[in-house]
Amino acid sequence: VRCQLCLPQRALQASAALRRVSDEHKKEPAASSSQHQFDSHPTDHQPEQEPQGPRPSYTGQGGQESEDYESEEQLQHRILTAALEFVPEHGWSAEAIAEGAKTLGLSAAAAGMFHNDGSELVLHFVSQCNTKLSELLEQEQKLVQLGKTEKKTTDQFLRDALEARLRMLIPYIEKWPQAVSILLLPHNIPSSLSLLTSMIDDIWHYAGDQSTDFDWYTRRAVLTGIYNTTVLVMMQDSSPDFEDTWRFLENRVADAVNMDNTAKQVKSTGEALVQGLMGAVVTVSTAARALRAE
Amino acid sequence: VYQVFENVAKKYDIMNDSMSLGIHRVWKDVLLYKMNPSPGILLLDVAGGTGDIAFRFIDYVRSVRERQLRRKLKHHQNLSWQEIADSYQAETVKPLGDSQVVVCDINKEMLKVGRQKAQHLGYSEGLSWVVGNAEELPFGDEKFDVYTIAFGIRNVTHIDLVLQEAYRVLKPGGRFLCLEFSQVNNPLLSRLYDLYSFQIIPVLGEIIAGDWKSYQYLVESIRRFPPQEEFKAMIEDAGFLKVDYQNLTSGIVAIHSGFKL
Repeated sequence: VRCQLCLPQRALQASAALRRVSDEHKKEPAASSSQHQFDSHPTDHQPEQEPQGPRPSYTGQGGQESEDYESEEQLQHRILTAALEFVPEHGWSAEAIAEGAKTLGLSAAAAGMFHNDGSELVLHFVSQCNTKLSELLEQEQKLVQLGKTEKKTTDQFLRDALEARLRMLIPYIEKWPQAVSILLLPHNIPSSLSLLTSMIDDIWHYAGDQSTDFDWYTRRAVLTGIYNTTVLVMMQDSSPDFEDTWRFLENRVADAVNMDNTAKQVKSTGEALVQGLMGAVVTVSTAARALRAE
Repeated sequence: VYQVFENVAKKYDIMNDSMSLGIHRVWKDVLLYKMNPSPGILLLDVAGGTGDIAFRFIDYVRSVRERQLRRKLKHHQNLSWQEIADSYQAETVKPLGDSQVVVCDINKEMLKVGRQKAQHLGYSEGLSWVVGNAEELPFGDEKFDVYTIAFGIRNVTHIDLVLQEAYRVLKPGGRFLCLEFSQVNNPLLSRLYDLYSFQIIPVLGEIIAGDWKSYQYLVESIRRFPPQEEFKAMIEDAGFLKVDYQNLTSGIVAIHSGFKL
């Protein structure tokens, strides 16, 4: 039975590494329209002014900790972001996380907070890329609304969105195969799948997709397929500035849009055919009645 | 308590093996796997008398270091003979990559046994043996990356003082790891365990080590130790964050972990 007197004592104890939130001059970007959520981190971005009241229950602390200090999740995010620069050398692993922790002035043992296999690092990076993409698309949309730029055609839009997103992989492209294998580990699949689907959803949303029928599924499935295959092409592309990859992307998007158009044509042709048949039936039956009347 | 361990020191390892049927090795291996130390980490092993954790730590760090050096070699396609020779040099000169273990125990006899074991098994580098009281450690603030206490914390008089000292000597970001007997959560297993503890272990103690009382004391101290959740709360009280525990062998033993953040 914990005594109630113990709780205030915890509040007074200054935290060794959690920084006072007011010290952070780097503002974290505001939460994007689509919340990216995965298992290990409840919320990705917390506005700093938010009081630390609803603390996750696993810490077991009575929420009495000073409201000015950043939460453990924010510290974990900082460590993972710092760890990214060590990925080209150490791969997506606990070693990279340990190096990242060291740059923040923490002991390398802090990497023990994460999984031994570097999963959290990859998921954090993917989530970060998706957020950056959303912001980019949001800004572009604003410019179009203000009339400063032309609205793009669907295939051009998709191509540019995917290219922007894939370019974020370039600094880590050598170790990306390792990242893909980590994302496919069974215990990571729920998280990685949800990140992938929310990214595709985002792109279609900004492309102006308003379908409410089966198209919604086909469009997302098609774009997911394009993204995945392009990533595979990119991983073994050695052309200057990945020209081959962008050309591949262009062709695939053109195919997809073509298919979409063809599907629409087939539908309208089908409808036209049916109408024609109905018209023919009505004509024939009227003529037959007229003949019988004579 | 001191006298218990004075008697127990020499036969400590044998008794561990027979009491836990050798599983204690697995438990200690799991502790190291959870720690996942990298070269350069400084470990303080408290109540680590005969050095089991320390030796495992050294082995682990050594193999990680070898893997690191081999990976560096693989990266470089065209190495001159000089560079290859240099990397082999580096492997022998710094096999642990600056890692160190300090084994601290209140009992000189346990440390003596540990030192002999080290000599016997060939561990020479990176080890220090210090006599000290866990409630009042003879080290400065913020010196160590990892603090471990394996099967030692149930024997101390003031657990909260030990936890506070652990917090003090750890660097920011440092980790506290505790491997200790805990409450079994499975009711069937719990009854078998009780039977085993109270009937068989003291008998083994008498046969192997010639000491019934010490092992009676051991079993009782296990029963007196707070259960997992309570101990977790005590660790949080000392200021550790992200405190968590992992049950091994369905609760016979638990590893508690906390970070100084």
